[in-house]
Amino acid sequence: MATWTWFHRFGSPPYMYGFARRWAPWFGGVAAFAMLIALYGGLVLAPEDYQQKDAFRMVYVHAPSAWLSLMVYTTMAVAAAVGLIWRMKVAHAVAAACAPVGAWFTVAALGTGMLWGKPMWGAYWVWDPRLTSELILLFLYFGYMGLRAGIEDTAKADKASAVLAIVGVVNVPIIKYSVEWWNSLHQVASVMKLGKPTMNWDMRWPLLLMLLAFTLYFAAVLLIRLRAELLRRERNASWVREVVT
Amino acid sequence: MSEFFSMSGYGIYLWPAFALGIGVVVLNLVMALNSLSNARKDARRRLEMNSPEETA
Repeated sequence: MATWTWFHRFGSPPYMYGFARRWAPWFGGVAAFAMLIALYGGLVLAPEDYQQKDAFRMVYVHAPSAWLSLMVYTTMAVAAAVGLIWRMKVAHAVAAACAPVGAWFTVAALGTGMLWGKPMWGAYWVWDPRLTSELILLFLYFGYMGLRAGIEDTAKADKASAVLAIVGVVNVPIIKYSVEWWNSLHQVASVMKLGKPTMNWDMRWPLLLMLLAFTLYFAAVLLIRLRAELLRRERNASWVREVVT
Repeated sequence: MSEFFSMSGYGIYLWPAFALGIGVVVLNLVMALNSLSNARKDARRRLEMNSPEETA
């Protein structure tokens, strides 16, 4: 019973709008603070790698970007599925708010990866399973946003784009396990895996903190975008008058 | 200090990568805030257009 009260409350646009307004500054503030500490830890305190020297510090910007690119897509697909199954407008709004953020972090993951690839592999780009599947992720985000932009009616855009988001989610495990399933130049996971991590604690804590910081940052940005999305969708609702005047 | 910026010679790759990452972080926050501020302005404009007591 209690679960359903919770579920229904989150399905209410005015409740979600208030929730987003209350929580976004907290997530954003903690994220900014954690990001600064993690940057200092990663760039200054962590010792250099015995093989990659200081180039390994790329991990502190590359891995969190790549993590968000996948995490945001998964969030988008889950929200889209909830929206389709329970016909929940707020869930569709969450999915729509995810897309541009996810696309940008996919660009960041690809860009920082290229800048890491050049000194380590000798090339900015190779048609490697990990790189190729991440590029497909970017096209999925573009497809999702293009589809939404191309359909005037919001309800129809919600449904069509939700189907695309859900189908595209198969690419997420492909990206994650591409380095194990196929021969890849890309290194395998050293932190985001079960069992014993293969990274020294002095190098690992700034990475873990940065992953947490990026996740909280995404929560803040998502909540801000969700408010904008709800205002546009609910422009004829009476609660909008109270929150904008 | 210059040793820090050189990053054992990898600075030319490392710093652009951090600039890109931090740039995307800042840009997405700014874009989200802009989008919210535009949505609020639009909503307010619509309310003003639709409320006769304010125009009368």
